[in-house]
Parts: sequence; structure tokens; C-alpha cells
Amino acid sequence: MGEAGRGRVTTLRRWTSRLALPAGFALTLAILIAIFYYPVGSVLAEAVVRGGRLTVAPLADVLADPFYTGVAHHLFDDPTSVPAGVLAWMRAGFPSVEFGLFGFTANQALLSTVASVVVGLPGAYLLARYEFRGRRALRSLTILPFVLPSIMVAVGFLAMFGQTGVLNDVLGALGLGEVNLLFTLEAIVLAHAFYNAPLVTRLVTAAWETVDARRVETARALGASPLRAFRDVVAPQLLPALLTAALLTFVFTFLSFPIVLALGGLRLATVEVWLYARVQDLALAEAATLGAIETTLSLGLTYLYLRYEARQTSARGGGASRPRQVFVQGWRTLRDPVRMGLGIYGVGILVLFVGPLASMVLESVTGPNGGFTTAYYEFLVRQQAATGTGTVRPLPAITNSLTFGFSTLILAVPMGIVVSVVAVRGGAGSRLAETIMTAPLAVSGVVVGLGLLQTLVFGTEILGHRIVVGGAVAVVAAHAVAAYPFVTRNVTPALGGLDTQLLDAARSLGASRFRVLLDIELPLVAAAVLAGSAFAFAISIGEFDTTVLLAEGVSSYTMPVALERYIGNRSLGPSLGPATAMGTVLLAVTAASFLVIERLGGRWEP
Amino acid sequence: MQRRRFIRRAGAGVAGLTLLAGCTGSNDGGGSGQNASNSSATNGSTESNGTSSGNGTAGGDGTAGGNGTSATNETGATTGSASASGTLTVATYSSFTGEDTAGNWLKSAFEAEHSGTTVEFVTPENGVNQYIQRAKQGAPIDADVYVGLNASDLVRVSQQLDTSLFQTAADSLDRADTVKDELNVDPNGRAIPYDTGYISLVYNEDEVEEPQTFASLLESRYEGDLITQNAQQSDPGRAFLLWSIITQGEDGYLDYWEQLLGNGVSVLSDWEPAYQAYMDGEAPMVVSYSTDQVFYHGPDVNMAKHQIGFLNDQGYANPETMALFADSENAELGRRFMEFVLTENAQSNIAVKNVQFPAVKGVTPSDEFAKYAKEPPEPVTFSYDELAGSVGTWVEEWARLVAGA
Repeated sequence: MGEAGRGRVTTLRRWTSRLALPAGFALTLAILIAIFYYPVGSVLAEAVVRGGRLTVAPLADVLADPFYTGVAHHLFDDPTSVPAGVLAWMRAGFPSVEFGLFGFTANQALLSTVASVVVGLPGAYLLARYEFRGRRALRSLTILPFVLPSIMVAVGFLAMFGQTGVLNDVLGALGLGEVNLLFTLEAIVLAHAFYNAPLVTRLVTAAWETVDARRVETARALGASPLRAFRDVVAPQLLPALLTAALLTFVFTFLSFPIVLALGGLRLATVEVWLYARVQDLALAEAATLGAIETTLSLGLTYLYLRYEARQTSARGGGASRPRQVFVQGWRTLRDPVRMGLGIYGVGILVLFVGPLASMVLESVTGPNGGFTTAYYEFLVRQQAATGTGTVRPLPAITNSLTFGFSTLILAVPMGIVVSVVAVRGGAGSRLAETIMTAPLAVSGVVVGLGLLQTLVFGTEILGHRIVVGGAVAVVAAHAVAAYPFVTRNVTPALGGLDTQLLDAARSLGASRFRVLLDIELPLVAAAVLAGSAFAFAISIGEFDTTVLLAEGVSSYTMPVALERYIGNRSLGPSLGPATAMGTVLLAVTAASFLVIERLGGRWEP
Repeated sequence: MQRRRFIRRAGAGVAGLTLLAGCTGSNDGGGSGQNASNSSATNGSTESNGTSSGNGTAGGDGTAGGNGTSATNETGATTGSASASGTLTVATYSSFTGEDTAGNWLKSAFEAEHSGTTVEFVTPENGVNQYIQRAKQGAPIDADVYVGLNASDLVRVSQQLDTSLFQTAADSLDRADTVKDELNVDPNGRAIPYDTGYISLVYNEDEVEEPQTFASLLESRYEGDLITQNAQQSDPGRAFLLWSIITQGEDGYLDYWEQLLGNGVSVLSDWEPAYQAYMDGEAPMVVSYSTDQVFYHGPDVNMAKHQIGFLNDQGYANPETMALFADSENAELGRRFMEFVLTENAQSNIAVKNVQFPAVKGVTPSDEFAKYAKEPPEPVTFSYDELAGSVGTWVEEWARLVAGA
């Protein structure tokens, strides 16, 4: 190659490198529009379009309906009566007030968020500050609840907390009274904590581990008590992570659907449960209106949070983290109140987290008469060997799940990083841009599924051609869209905490923005990227609502879809046995993949 | 999702309570085969062939071949065998297909009889809504036959679409008039019943005394004892609600349910979780099917937990039907498939594998089935026309009551 040729290659490289980020951004946006904004928009449009004209009628109908908004409906149907109404209410001695379906949903989400934080925080303290055998494995496993299909968790909860469940058996043996938890608000809150407390633990642990040891030591050296040092130095650095976790929990539990269906029934219905019923009834305008209100509420929250987070990103990372204390220290362990407290906490965690999962595994080897059986696993083997049409075989479900999971990573990780870069260095309007790009988190799964179905799966006429996206490609794209916000939520704070001088120096030495990202920033935030990847993988493995709509053929079913199909399979009589067996397989496969991911990732941990 | 999505909500003029003038009128004389004259003369002999070779026993896979061969020849002569070969796409619910299901039995038996044909199943997660939405969006309907429709589905189809999603099939099926009159759901002859279930209570006689009437469920001794399902999505749940409307009246049912809620009824999402909760001992009564014992009987099973309770000596009938898409490119093969489903042999097999009662008169699936499947003294159900104007409002008012309570 001559001098000129080499020059051309260098120029080309420089151009590629310069264009890589804008191209990545454009591509991310294009994917989002194709697979998220266009489908969801097509559904939500029903809320504001009636007979081809823009209208606020559906919105007004919902807001002025006491069933939805309770006492607040006066605000929308007759605002002038509100002051008199409030006066009358005060005169009556502040009787309890109905807030309708939205009020109940928000209340339930608030309780669930508080419960998740209360259950999750001590775990973060334990994992971040103490060293013990299996700590890293435990840390990896905090992501596990995320992948468990809610139907499976519900079964576990029934077996654990039911009338004749394991908990009541234990309480009975201890001579304590039995508890009636099922089909109550408490059961829903508990199940939401099961899903979201690990999220709190995981995000806060990650933040705690990056607290700069030098700053704590400085504070202590200057005479601060441990408590004072925690309050002034550590807590402010944990707060953004805690708030992220709390906000995500609130949004998730506000949009909660299958858990409420399974553990609460219709009497404790949330907005999302109602929305699903409207969709089933093809009352799409009403469903779209509910979806639009939900989305507005959760996007508003997300936006507020992102503004807060932007102000909070302080210098993080860099210094070494503090050494962990050894948890087990002979007799001292028993005398130390903190360690004892954590021990009791551990027992509670065992009941809440291991209980339902163990009950599910137990269920998979227990016959209808309580004896040991391998019938359900034999069923899986038979399914694998079966030739009947429409048979859902376990092995393809496993390989599909893993293939989709890794394909999701290939899409979601770059997408998430691109959005993070925009969020951190975007300048004016970047909060808004980030909110828009984080929207998949805030939009109801039912709305997304319906939108995808009506657009990509049915096909869209473009220039006289019907473009249909079905099967595996659509599934992976949908998973990626659902998963990348988790990459972003992990990477953004880490990127934001990097020392900007370092990056400026690199830029001034002639490195392109992309080079800086690739060579300097990403290696520094590898742990966050890895955590985000694990989340993305988890989302893909556990995703059900959209997958089941898109995986119409027999070629693209995943483990959760197989599990659902086995519930409908009656060849062993009406029994959840086959489903629990498949759930156990799902549990084993995913637990193993996370341990592998974390072990491989351990090399990069700072 | 649920065990028996296939047991569908129904609405037909079942003898004894509601009569459906338009529909049952035309079929009243059915059974003698006079309707066959509507279809095609060449098919005249099919019926006798079908009935004479039907063996009426369960699991007789091998005999299926003898059943409809003549039908193939007869019709083949009129329409040309080319149109009768190829691939027939059958849309249905997922638990109808797979190993050892009624769907799979139908596929192999039908294919064995019609060489050169293939039956393919598609199982859209959202059921018939998939096709309603497709039709609305102008997307192609890529199926020929839908198996698993109920009266509410048909009502929704008509209310949502201006054009017809399904074509009339009853006139061109010889065996359509062998279907039990009271199961004929569709006054327009699009939906043909192929099996039926009856909604009843299943209770544990070791724990509660059998409740005799709807009114007795309000007694304090049954407080917290009943589990039912969400009538918005669950078939048995909807049937139970409709049944309560039949007994309590359109004006009285919401009051009744308010009292039932006050007495601690649980309303779970669907049959599967409801039955699971029942089996786990959360409550001693659950809304289920009168075929319950067919699943459960056995030497070491405590049958006390599988008692069938017919409130007011009634049970709500839930016929399950099939229909031919208006846009089907393979309509002739589709009709043969539907005809085949109504043969005695197929009826016996579907009944046993789907644990439902046959839809065709005079079919006895097996001795065991006859022993354990209980029929209510008085089957009740709403007709299509009664549902058409009201079912949406009834269910929504009910759901608002429950969710708002």
C-alpha cells in the first residue's frame, strides 16, 4: 500500500470514528421509533382521535369518572364545586375519601416501594460492607427475581404463604397462630418487594462500593463519628442510587399487572389490570386513554428524577473502596448487635426469597397426594421426544431463550451506552432527550404488546408493500427496547462521575469522541456496563407479555412461554406440576448464566 | 394461563329457560337430516355413511379412516379434488394443540383420511381478537377455520366489524343438524358447536354442606368459602356471572353480588389460579365444571373434594363452536374438516381429550366418561340475541362493583 493509500485508510478511520457516535445515536433512535414509538403511538393515538378528529373526550370521560379518579373527579367534571365540597368535607370531620382506581394503584405502588426499600437496604449494607463466603454469588443472584415469570412467583407465593402453606406449617409447629395472607393487599406488596427489593439492593450496593474510602477516612480523621461520616459522606453518594431504585420500583409497581391478577384478584385491581381487561374487550379508546394517563404520570416522574440526578452527579469513582469487614468473627458475631440484626434480617430474607422459590422446586417433585414424584420431569422429557404438532418442547425453549438473551445484549448494550453518552454530555435538552429515550420503562407492557401486534406483526403498508416483522427478529428487537434503559440507568451515573479533565485532555490530544469513549470511559465504567448487561439479559429471559404475542410460530417460544403453555397442558390432569418443573429448569438455567456472566465479568471489576 | 380456555362461554336457547326463536326454529326439525337438502344433492349419502361407520367409542383412532372417505369422493366429484388438498390452517387456543390433545388427534385422523392435505394450527395469544383486529386494520386473515368460539366472541365479532368475519357454514354441512338443538349458539349459522361444558360448583364435602341455591351462598356459614373467576376474561367466571343474572334478574344481580362480596367471595383472574387456590385449601368451594371428576377419579383420590354442586338445580351451558373464515382460500377443505369434527368418532375423541360433553346427539364417549361427567338437571344459558345487547354492560358494571369494593 502506498503512502496515499495509507492516508486514505487513516482518513477513513478518522471519519468512521468521528461518525460512529452520531450514527449510533441515529440508529438507536431509528430502532426506537420503529419498534417502540410508532407502535405505541398507534395505540395511544386512539386516546385523542375519535372519528378522524382530535378530541379530549376520551380523556375527559376517564378523568371525570369517579370509578377512576374517586373524589378527584369533581376537579374535572365540575371544578367550581370543589371549594364548597372541600368545606363540606372539613365540616363533616374529614371522613375517609375514595380516590378511585388511580388512587388505589398509586397507594399500592407507594406501599410496595416503601416495602422494597425497607427489605432491600439492609441487604445493600450487608453486601457492600461485609465479607463472607458466597458474597459474590449472592450479589449475582440478586438479579434472579427479575427473570422469574410472575406466574411462577405467584405459584411459589401460594405454596409458601397460603392457608396450608409452608409458613403456616412452621408457625403452627411453633405454636403460633396462622396467617391469612393471600388475596390481600399485603400479599401484593410482599410480592412486589420480592421483585424490587433486590433491585434496591443491587443498585445501592453498586453505589456503596464506589464510595471513596479516602473521603470517609478524611471525615473520620477530622473527628466525625462513624454515624456522622455516614450521614455527611456516604449517604449523599447512596442517595441517587436509592432514588433510582425507588423510582423504578414505583413505576414498575404502578404498572403492576400479573402479580395483582394472581395474588390479589379483581378486588384489588390496578389501572393496568383494568387496561388489560379493556383491551380484551377491544374497548381500545378507553384502554389507550388509561395507557396515556399512566404513561404521562410515569414519564413525569422519570423526568423529575433525571433532573434531580443531573444535579447530584458528583465526583465518584477514582479512589479505592473501603475494605469490607469480615462478617463471621467467632463469638464477636453473636455479641455485635449489628451482626445479630443482619442475622435476623437474613432469616427474614430466607422466608421471603428462598421460601417461594424452594416451594416451587418442591412442588415440581411432589405429586398430587404429597408423595415424591418425577412425573413432571418425565413429562418434560416426553415433550422433548414428542412429535405431535404444536408440542412445546423444553430444549428449543431453553436455546431460544439464551439466543434471544445474547442477541438482546448485542443490541441493547450499545443502545444503552449511546443514550448514556447523550444524557451525560448532551447539553441543553438532554434531560428531555433522556426521558424520551427512557420511555420504554414507563410505558405499560400491555400497550407495547398491543402496539407491536397492530403494526409490525399485522404489517404496515409502506409504498404499496406490506412490511411484516415477525418471529425471532421482532422478539429480539422488543427485548432490546425493554432492556436498554437498564443499561443506561447503570452506565449514566458511572459516566457522569468520571473526571472530565481526563476526557478533555484526550480530546485535546486529538482523540475523537468515540475513541475517548472506547479507550478511556468504557474501561473505567466496565463494572456498570456489566451490571447493565446482566439486567438486559435478565429482562430478555424473563419477558413474557410481548414475547407471547410475537412468538406465534412454534420456532420462537421462550422458557416463560413454554411454562405458560404447560399450565394449559392437561395430559397429567389439572396440575401445575409440569409448569413448576419447567420453572425449575428456568431457574437453574438463568441462575447458571448469571453466575457465569459475573464470573467472567469479575476480571474487569475495578 | 388457564386450563380450560377451550371451555367457552356460551349463549344459546337451551331448552328449559331461554328460547331462541330465530335460531332454534330452523333447527327444531333437525336430526332427521332434512337440512341436508340445503347444501348439495351430491352430498346426500354422506350422512348415512357418517352415521353408520361412526363407532362411538373413545380412542378409536384407527377407525377414523372409514368414516369420511366416501364424503371425500362425493364432494370431490362436484368441486374437484384439487381444491380439497393442500394446507388447512386452523386457528385455535394453545391447549387444543400439542401432544395428546383433541387438536392433534383431529389433525392426524383428518390427514389420514384426506391424503395430500395438511392441517396446521395457529394459536394467537389473544384469540379471536387477533382476527377482529386484523380485519379492522386491513391485514390478511391467514387462517381458514377458527376452533373455540363462544357466544360472547361472536357478539364481539359482530359489534366490532361491519363486514362478516365468518361465513355461514350450517347450510352446507350435512351433519350440522345432528348437533343438539339447545347448543346452537349462532342464529346466523356461522358457528357450529362441537362440544360443551356446564359451569357448576365444585366443593369439598368434608368441609362444607352443599349449598343448594344462589341465595344460600349469602349465608354467614359460607362466609369466605367461595372462589370464582374474573368475568371479564375467564370463561367459567363469565358463565357464573351470567348464571347469577339468570337467577337474580338483570335488576337484581348487582345487589346480589354486593352481598356476595360482603360474604367474602374471592374473584381470581382465571380458572387455573382459582382451582389451584381451591386445591391448596384456601376455600372449600370453587366455580368450575361438572366434568371435574373425569380428571380426578382414581383409586387413591379423596373424591370428597370433587363434589359437583348444581345451584338451583341448574348448570350454565357453555357450548364451544367452530366457524369458517369468510376470506378462507380453502373453504371447501375447511367445510370437510368441520364435517369431520361432527362425526361420531371425532365427537367421542374430542369429548374425552377435551373433557367436554359431545355436541352431537346420541354420542357416548365411554363408560367411564358417562359415569363421572355430570349433567345438570336443568341446563341454562343466555341466547346470542340476549347477550348481544347486554353482555358488555353486565360484565363492566359487575367488574366496576368488584374492583371498586
